[in-house]
Amino acid sequence: MSAAKRVQQWATFARTWHVFDCKWQDPYESAHVIKKYLMGLHKPIYHPMNDCGDVVVCINSKDIALRGNEWRKRAYFHHTGYPGGASWTLAWELHNKDPTMIIKKAVYRSMTGNLQRRHTMQRLFIYPEDKVPEDVMQNVTNQIRQIRLVPTRLDHIPEEEVKNFPKIMDYPEDYVLK
Amino acid sequence: MVFLSIVNYVRARGPDEIWRKRRIFKLAAHYIGRRRNCYSVAVRNVHRALVYATKARKLKKEDMKELWDTRITSACEQHNITRFSLKEGLERANIALDRKSLSDLACWEPRTFECLAAVAKQKLELDGFVDGVDKKHPTGVNLNLKDVMLDAWLKERKN
Repeated sequence: MSAAKRVQQWATFARTWHVFDCKWQDPYESAHVIKKYLMGLHKPIYHPMNDCGDVVVCINSKDIALRGNEWRKRAYFHHTGYPGGASWTLAWELHNKDPTMIIKKAVYRSMTGNLQRRHTMQRLFIYPEDKVPEDVMQNVTNQIRQIRLVPTRLDHIPEEEVKNFPKIMDYPEDYVLK
Repeated sequence: MVFLSIVNYVRARGPDEIWRKRRIFKLAAHYIGRRRNCYSVAVRNVHRALVYATKARKLKKEDMKELWDTRITSACEQHNITRFSLKEGLERANIALDRKSLSDLACWEPRTFECLAAVAKQKLELDGFVDGVDKKHPTGVNLNLKDVMLDAWLKERKN
């Protein structure tokens, strides 16, 4: 075995397909995680000039969670180029129009603006729900860990379990729950 | 500028003008248009290019450092250890490897890097630098470092 073959690593430049579940995730935080995989920053062979980025499939993008009152306060700016063509769209309006747009813009903005950015974005697939076309899903071999734990809603826990959960006291009869 | 002698007043700077200009034109040979054909334009551009080259000698080193850091960070993530703890652990274990060698190892010899990550983590735990509450071990826990590493070397406290 030659010295070069001894350290050969197979499929080093192969593209891996990752899936990322956006449910209850902050798009601006997860953009930095997604960016890392898209650009290949998670590989020790990374170099800005070599094409080692992976493909990321984002699912459940309609279930993203924004911090605080960001749904109401964050505005997305667009200008048509004509005088008076400026428009500001609030995050909730944009999300109603296109549930994939917020995460897409977040990932786009997390990368530095260079000629490679638009090509890197081509490797990002975003789906509003967990229904992904079969020809995309069959390539996926890895799942990116979510940043935040997805909490279980109280009304999704079976009623018996809620009833049997130990509690300190019962509310008085005349107590009005907010 | 201080003119101390009459020599500085003369306009012609010797008979070897062609050679003086040739030196500049040779450096401007790969330019396009008037920048390579007219001396007065060429000399300005050559001077600017030389300034850039001077500055770039420093920038290149910074760029390489940044690239190595990126590579080491990514390799550390694979082994569940941060770059800071790797650096601290290796320093305490008297393994003096710089960024370049570490990133080369991460790239070409992933198994060696895995061992280094495990050694760093083990050393930090022995020194009490990390309290072991974090159950996320680096991926080298099955390497049985205790069989390979000298106890005395590991337990030697860093001053």
